[in-house]
Amino acid sequence: MFELNQKTLFVLDHTRYFSISSEQYISMDYLKGKPVMEVQACSGVSVGGTQLSKSLWTSAVESSIEYCRIVWDLFPGKKHVRFIVSDTAAHIVNTWSSSTQNMSHVLNAMMMVSVPTRSIPQSSDYSVIHGLRAAIEALAEPTDDQLQAAKLGCQKIPNEGRVICITSARDNTSMKSLEDIFNTVLLQQNALSAAPSNKGLIIDHCHLVILNIVPLGVESLVSNRTLIGVSPLLDVEIHTVSAPDIPDKLLHLIMGHYDLASTTVTNIPMKEEQNANSSANYDVEILHERCAHTMVCGPDFTLPTSIKPGTAYETVTLKWCTPRGCSSADLQPCIGQYNVTPVDVTSRPSSCLINFLLNGRSVLLEVPRKAGVRTTSHMLSARGGEIFVHSLCIARSAVDEAPAISDGPGGRISDYRIPEMAQLLKISRMVPQKVKPKGRTSSGEHLWRRLPRYFPRTSNVTVLFNLQRQLSWLPHFLHLLVKEDMDKQDEVRCQQQIHELYKSASRGDMLLFGNTSSNRSKAGKSKEQYRLFYRELEQLMLLNAHTQHHKNLLESLLSLRSAYGDAGSKIETGAVNMRSFAESPLSPERLEPSSSSSLLRGSKRRMSTSGQRSLLEIVSSADRQSCKRLEFSGRLCTPLAQTAQLYSDIGNREKESSSSCMSTTILKEESIRS
Amino acid sequence: MPTIIALDASLSMLRPVPGRNDHTYQSLALKGIQHLLDNLTVAGKLEHLALVTYSTVCELKVDFTRDYDQIRQAIKKVEPLDKACLITMLKTCVSLMASWGTQNVLQLVVFTDCGPGFGSTSISGFLESFIGKEAEPEYVWLKTMSPYHLNFICLGVHSDLYFTRGLTLLQQLLDATALKGLLYMIKPIKNMEASEGTSSSSHKNEQGFGRTAVFELVERMCESNYKSTEVTLKCGHYARLESQVLIWPPPLPYEQPAPFSGDSTIRHIDQRIDVCGFLSLSDIGSPATVSRHWVLAKVEREKPTRRSGSLTPTSKPSKLTLDSSSPHYELDKLEQDIREFYMKDSKDTEESGDDADPGVALKHSSGQQSEQQKDTLCMLLHGALKLENMAALVTLGEKWYGFIYAYTDVKKKSNLMLHILPPGVNVVPWLGDLDMLGFPEDLAPGETSSFPVRSERRSYSQSSVVWIRKASLQSDVQKVLRHAKKMPDKTQHFYKELNRIRRAALALGFVELLEALAMLLEKECAQMSMNGLNNECTIQLQHAATELRKTSNRDIKSTIVPLQKPGHPDAVPSSAYIY
Repeated sequence: MFELNQKTLFVLDHTRYFSISSEQYISMDYLKGKPVMEVQACSGVSVGGTQLSKSLWTSAVESSIEYCRIVWDLFPGKKHVRFIVSDTAAHIVNTWSSSTQNMSHVLNAMMMVSVPTRSIPQSSDYSVIHGLRAAIEALAEPTDDQLQAAKLGCQKIPNEGRVICITSARDNTSMKSLEDIFNTVLLQQNALSAAPSNKGLIIDHCHLVILNIVPLGVESLVSNRTLIGVSPLLDVEIHTVSAPDIPDKLLHLIMGHYDLASTTVTNIPMKEEQNANSSANYDVEILHERCAHTMVCGPDFTLPTSIKPGTAYETVTLKWCTPRGCSSADLQPCIGQYNVTPVDVTSRPSSCLINFLLNGRSVLLEVPRKAGVRTTSHMLSARGGEIFVHSLCIARSAVDEAPAISDGPGGRISDYRIPEMAQLLKISRMVPQKVKPKGRTSSGEHLWRRLPRYFPRTSNVTVLFNLQRQLSWLPHFLHLLVKEDMDKQDEVRCQQQIHELYKSASRGDMLLFGNTSSNRSKAGKSKEQYRLFYRELEQLMLLNAHTQHHKNLLESLLSLRSAYGDAGSKIETGAVNMRSFAESPLSPERLEPSSSSSLLRGSKRRMSTSGQRSLLEIVSSADRQSCKRLEFSGRLCTPLAQTAQLYSDIGNREKESSSSCMSTTILKEESIRS
Repeated sequence: MPTIIALDASLSMLRPVPGRNDHTYQSLALKGIQHLLDNLTVAGKLEHLALVTYSTVCELKVDFTRDYDQIRQAIKKVEPLDKACLITMLKTCVSLMASWGTQNVLQLVVFTDCGPGFGSTSISGFLESFIGKEAEPEYVWLKTMSPYHLNFICLGVHSDLYFTRGLTLLQQLLDATALKGLLYMIKPIKNMEASEGTSSSSHKNEQGFGRTAVFELVERMCESNYKSTEVTLKCGHYARLESQVLIWPPPLPYEQPAPFSGDSTIRHIDQRIDVCGFLSLSDIGSPATVSRHWVLAKVEREKPTRRSGSLTPTSKPSKLTLDSSSPHYELDKLEQDIREFYMKDSKDTEESGDDADPGVALKHSSGQQSEQQKDTLCMLLHGALKLENMAALVTLGEKWYGFIYAYTDVKKKSNLMLHILPPGVNVVPWLGDLDMLGFPEDLAPGETSSFPVRSERRSYSQSSVVWIRKASLQSDVQKVLRHAKKMPDKTQHFYKELNRIRRAALALGFVELLEALAMLLEKECAQMSMNGLNNECTIQLQHAATELRKTSNRDIKSTIVPLQKPGHPDAVPSSAYIY
């Protein structure tokens, strides 16, 4: 994480020499159609036409700022660049803090520095040495990331950095002394940092790049030197560059410093303002991490490279594919995404491409393949105001040519409750938050609490949800039932509804079928449907038993079920048993089911809302409700005046299926639920 | 995992197996391949398989396919010929595998009697020329092969000197080339006396090398290479919104570098994948993923029998018996009752009064069909995700996320797909911190939030000034002059551009430009007044030129503003300060 390029320092020589002209003249005369009258020549402007030249200082500043523009575009928040201006002392332009690691801060600060004045006398006080010293001190300062690492208990924080010094030296000897001073200061700084009281970091390694600047056409006595290790701590390289070539030099250097690669998007159709009917094709060169290329290359696949005239690095040429739809850009098989920045940010084709992308459209990039078959290897897209190049997976993949999911397990079923599930998806759409949602333990848990606790997957396993459309009261009833914070009022309403249901069942009212048109069902069927309705309702309530109110409702329902001759599903041995119930001459009018024991009757009477309660029962149940502490569950499910039986199921397991032990199984079941 | 099955087709494969007159090495190899196919069929026929045979030449018999019958047919026609040349086969496999790129795990399964070959093409011949010349370009293919999983099903017994010598050479080859290879062979009998009456496996070995032994080798190989990844997909508290699923191809362990320094850690995805919310596909875009996988509903299938050699259709009808010990017995029972209720109902409408067993219809269906008729969470989720064009954000581990969505390929075949993101919470810049995603209800009242999470402005989305190329400087100046000519309509634009250039020039210490610009404006002004044009225009130009030259304006806070009263230039402060 803390590589050599995480910290870069520019040391800009601000001595008098840098005020001289770079001797490269830019003509402004072409702007004029007609010859103009002579204007008196002023300082800094050549005689005659409107020509001007940048100073060495301007050349140095603009190219170093271009360097950090690229760095900050490609590695936002990850790689840091600082500037130090050196004349009689070192002037710190920005710090490692992220608030000063941006273009506008640096530009504003540079406004105050301005070009060195020509009038100042040449003196030894003016030197780049001050800046180099400050640079070494700055290298010892930790970045936010390094502070973070220290906070997390990282013992040995790697600390490397690069210093790019733009200066001008008389000859190799003075260059050598510069180098020696730098090395000495580096050692001194490390000695300082080693002291326990010092907060600075030891510098593990430093790469010093010296750019020796001369005006155009001036010979320098300083010779170029490639990278050599001066000491185990320090590598130095020296380049002598004429001022107009600094930007090119730094562009070449940055490619190596950050392992960047260049892609030229070719064949971009653009409309001319003059003739909007036709379009011409343009090329735009962009920079990004080299990985964006190497990711897609394989043993039998390489990207075509070429060298653009006037440069010495390779660029990969990829062809623009005019996008057809927007949706195709989502969830492409992308194996790497990298920030990009145009090489020439102000050129018209660049800004044209940028605006196209920033407006939300994505562009696929094609590469011609060996057999003439074209492959789209990359995609350009902008998200949140940032442009990315996506490396796409072009190799054959094991997940290609998938058999459809409908040929797999569960594929032949057509009545999945997909629209209902889709509703759940829509209400659980995520949005970015500024703070972590309150009370969230795990992100999964956070979602699950929102989702229903009972949700049949297909419509042929639910009676309840199929009847929702037919029974107008049902949706609201279900809504109340699943409310986590059910109150007394809700409970009363639900109790009423359950009672209504009971009455209509007693009357033998038909429930409509949700998924069939048939209304010819027989009475037996209707009864069975009620029974399933109750059972499903019970299932739903069981899963949603959050409060005492829910539990009360559940008890009412259970007593209703028993009244309907369907006393809990555990005692049934299967369909045979059920049929025997259905065929028994049990009419809904008879409230006391013949099969239920006295115990069951007791429990029914206690819990049902149908009003057959003694005063004592009403009072004691009211007592129980007001009691804050939850009643002992054994007592809760035992009828009054009887002793609660503990561990009632011991020894009864084998007999569970037989109806003789009906009472005990009910007891057990209820104790689980309450 | 694309797999090449390589079958040794040298003459030595025709030797009868010692003590087993009914088998040759080749017939055992064929049995082994069939058993491998059976195992992979049971696993869902997902692997792409290719078949090559090798002797002096290496021939591609069946190219990569999921239709295993092609391979079953092809192996019947293999006729052994001359000597084994392993190196040729390996080289051929590298070129065959090339189309799969580096994203897939590539498998090679070799069925051989470990014949070392003869002469210069033999293993020992290769080793002689290779050792010491590892870096030569002719051995580059070995580097490509290094991530492959090589599995050798070694047919032979340890009492056979020919076999053991071959094994040793094979191991030497793997060691010398640093290839990831595993040799599957029966255990050598170390001590005849000790083995007497001990384990049953050593008994088998004594009996010689037969079909059972080959099956064992194949099963061992499948166990270590083709084991499916089974996880729980949890989409809520309800039992039916939770399901066992297979992730295929199996996700590879992820090597996560240490956050600051130190050793990296190997991470595996969790046994439970939690859905934590849903996002629309257009918000997600195309983030970089570690790998892509199918999410398949898990089904219970019978293991292939070793007897038959090929799969026999299961004669027993799969019954929908409910397991009363299952934690969801109650629910299963209810669902089955409701299902039967509806089924009876529809039957009633067809043939009224028929009180047939509702289970009958299901009992007749074969295993394959009943599997398709069991509802699955995958289908439900797939349907809903597809309908809404959304993806589910899932956790794969501590601070590790992925997306599940309905993927439709070019042939309109749709599937549930998992994209595994690199571990971390800030892996997709435009989605922000994935740990910080919540639901609209979590927002503070009045607060709104939507995707994408916007980044700081980059150089290309603000009007940067870069004058490295002459042309960009010239075009900026040209723009000012263009506005100048169109004053007073464009007065505001003129001053906006003028200030932009002025600020940039000051930042770069490019004071020469200020002077040059002033001169240009004066020229323009002179020309206009010569032609007797536009009084307002000339006054503004003169004003701007004067202001540009003022050294007092070379300050960060100053801005040149238009001259308000053309008639009385002195009455108005010519430059304003913004505090």
